[in-house]
Amino acid sequence: MEAVLHTEKHEHNEAHGHSESFIRKYIFSTDHKMIAKQFMFTAIIFLFIGGAFALFIRWQLAYPGEPIPVIGQMLPSTWVNDAGAVTAEWYTQLLTMHGSIMIFAVIIPLLVGTFGNFAIPLMIGADDMAFPFLNMVSFWLFPVAGILMMGGFFMEGGMAAAGWTAYPPLSAIASMGQTLWIVALFLIGFSSILGGVNYVTTILNMRAPGMKMFDLPMTVWAVFITAIIITIGTPVLASALAMLFMDNFLHTSFFQPENLIVPTRDMSRTAGGGQPLLWQHLFWFYSHPAVYIMILPGMGVVSDILATFSRKPLYGYKAMVFAIIAIAFLGIVVWGHHMFQSGMNPLLGTTFMVSTMVIAVPSAIKTFNWLGTMWRGQMQFTTPMLNAVAFVSMFVVGGLSGIFMASTPVDVFIHDTYFIVGHIHYVLFGGSLFAVFAGLHYWFPKMTGRMYDERIGKWHFWITFVTFNGTFFPMHILGVGGMMRRIFDPTVYDFLKPFQPMNEFITINAMILGFAQFLLVYNLVYSWFKGRKAKRNPWRANTLEWQAPSPPPHGNFDRALHVYHGPYEYSSPLTVQDYLPQTTSPEEIEEQRRHHEQRLQQKNEQDTHA
Amino acid sequence: MLDWLPENVSVFGEGVDHLFSLIYYISVVIFFLVNAIYIAFIIRYRRKRKGDKAYHYHGNNLLEISWTALPFALFLFLAFYSDGIWEDIRYSEKTPNPDLVVEVMGQTYLWHFRYPGSDGIFGRRDRKFITTTNPFGVDPDDPNGRDDFTTINNMNIPVNKTVLVRLSSMDVIHSFFLPNMRVKQDAVPGQWVDVWFNSRKTGEFEIACAELCGSGHYLMRGVMTVQAQQNFDTWIDEQYSNVLASLAPPATSNE
Repeated sequence: MEAVLHTEKHEHNEAHGHSESFIRKYIFSTDHKMIAKQFMFTAIIFLFIGGAFALFIRWQLAYPGEPIPVIGQMLPSTWVNDAGAVTAEWYTQLLTMHGSIMIFAVIIPLLVGTFGNFAIPLMIGADDMAFPFLNMVSFWLFPVAGILMMGGFFMEGGMAAAGWTAYPPLSAIASMGQTLWIVALFLIGFSSILGGVNYVTTILNMRAPGMKMFDLPMTVWAVFITAIIITIGTPVLASALAMLFMDNFLHTSFFQPENLIVPTRDMSRTAGGGQPLLWQHLFWFYSHPAVYIMILPGMGVVSDILATFSRKPLYGYKAMVFAIIAIAFLGIVVWGHHMFQSGMNPLLGTTFMVSTMVIAVPSAIKTFNWLGTMWRGQMQFTTPMLNAVAFVSMFVVGGLSGIFMASTPVDVFIHDTYFIVGHIHYVLFGGSLFAVFAGLHYWFPKMTGRMYDERIGKWHFWITFVTFNGTFFPMHILGVGGMMRRIFDPTVYDFLKPFQPMNEFITINAMILGFAQFLLVYNLVYSWFKGRKAKRNPWRANTLEWQAPSPPPHGNFDRALHVYHGPYEYSSPLTVQDYLPQTTSPEEIEEQRRHHEQRLQQKNEQDTHA
Repeated sequence: MLDWLPENVSVFGEGVDHLFSLIYYISVVIFFLVNAIYIAFIIRYRRKRKGDKAYHYHGNNLLEISWTALPFALFLFLAFYSDGIWEDIRYSEKTPNPDLVVEVMGQTYLWHFRYPGSDGIFGRRDRKFITTTNPFGVDPDDPNGRDDFTTINNMNIPVNKTVLVRLSSMDVIHSFFLPNMRVKQDAVPGQWVDVWFNSRKTGEFEIACAELCGSGHYLMRGVMTVQAQQNFDTWIDEQYSNVLASLAPPATSNE
């Protein structure tokens, strides 16, 4: 505790001295904005690694056994065969690492780490997080974990290869890479908990004077609820990981029954008597809420962006808040819907089906309220708005395809097929990642003090949007055809052979989709240095972050704030302009109006004189 | 889209496919309805003149309640409709009396099938007896097990008969997937799970593994032959005589 206090004081002094060392400012920074940028930078690197892995997977599925073009021969012999084609061993590592990286090292760090860190203090009018030092630790655990997770590359047996869900016994009798994966996830979980505690404390205690909970923008509400889910769910995952680690390393039997026949491993020290399904319950108790950890902040960001660029109050603000709370708490009681075919008692199938169907309701509420927000608006289709609009539409697809799997008899057929792969990508890419793109462009002026290039932004959006649908929509059809997920070569099965042209179509789209992301990076990097200087409030938005200079200095605001209004008073009849910043006092509104009327009068007089 | 479904030959599969298409059509209607409104709004309410104000409106409670209640009713209906079928195909008290019981054991990367032989009774088994040569862990001392026989990646069943599959795994989790029967059930080591179906058509159908079980997961393919009862009986007799033939020499040498 003393160390924390000391750091805070230290930071405070330096904020006025403008003499932070390079290491203090850019590496071991405790400034929430720098930490947000660090999260963003690291996560985007992982985005490209995870994306490259996906393209290797897609290549193999479209052209099984054919050498990877251009780079096939350059890859290490543990990954590809002599001809340069993906091996089955590497393929299972690829699909495991693609899932793990995208979820734990891309989406969660971008939505929760980047936006949570950047937006919370700025949007509630605080000068930093409640615990800046914890915040720094929370960031630094993440790249360490990411590198550990990939560290299996240097080990015998390669990286983890039991899928991102790591079902034992497969994951309990695995290579060293799997153990590294477990440790990495444990660290990331720890990072999440540190972040979560920090967010909750900051939002509860550090709001600007006058700011009630129902004056919070949806982004802050969403991250707040997300942080609560994180602090409830992650410790359960941590306990499961600890058990799996012991099963792997110390030959315990939490998840392993008696007398497993495993020729590749000495099982004489493993007593048996464990239950493989226990892992699935514990894992999904965290990982189902994790889906909401990955979508709720996106919903918040999109709500803010839709309101800002429709110039309208968010439709049904309180209903939106309650819908998020409902999703979060129902999200904790639906984990069993991942386990309908697992051998769990079918009676539980009924229970979890009903709770899963009920959770679709708040999602529907949110969709209708977004529509309501746009109704009779004055919409401007900037890059953030385009991405936010796409989010809503893609989320509808992801929500509807979820109903198929919620229905237990239908799930019998589509469980573990490409239908679920299509569904999860509509939620996590069509949903979360589009929200990330929207948020990155929306806050770019605030984060860097410069404007991004609107033309490149729109190109990036349209290419991504079209090829995203070209990649993931046909996966539903593959799933209806029965194509199992995680198979190395679909042509082994007669009933899957007719789908080969579709697999090729998907792969071609996926490649364009992957390479289009360089546009995003180019736009962000180029604009960061060369972009047009941004004004304080380029979007004419109401929320507090736009009252700070662009970019905000250490300590954020250059004047004292007092909050008088909710975040969505757009196009209010009280005001002259079509927005009303949360900090504008009733007196200021009155004065602006008097001023405006005077000008109108003067203009009228001039007109009559003329 | 539903034309892509593999041919259904299972008796309960019809009900499942019917539910599938019901949800499909509901989803299509909702999708087009929501997106039509959405696109109409995008076209109609784009900003045409700078400085125009939007409609200042915070929402309507009656609308909020109705678009909470309507989806709630729809989803509850779907849940109860689905549950009827689910109970029929999975609840043990609703399982019809089986005409044939087959035990299935997953092993990395193949399927073992065990038939009770001529007496129709399986020999006692226990996990502790499992070895690579005794995949089901059959107790060697139980006389009922003498005529039991096993096959690999090749399952035979009679047509129009209720078949109960008793499922487990020797090593990691596999998933027993019969696309044409609308059957999928994980095979979990240390646990036996029952799943039943009834094929109304003869022919050869593929068996797949649907749960990642290692790098050879994709190779875990089996074939199920559905044939008329008398052909099936002939097949059983053949297998049984093979068992007798293989048992004979050691039996004499022991005495």
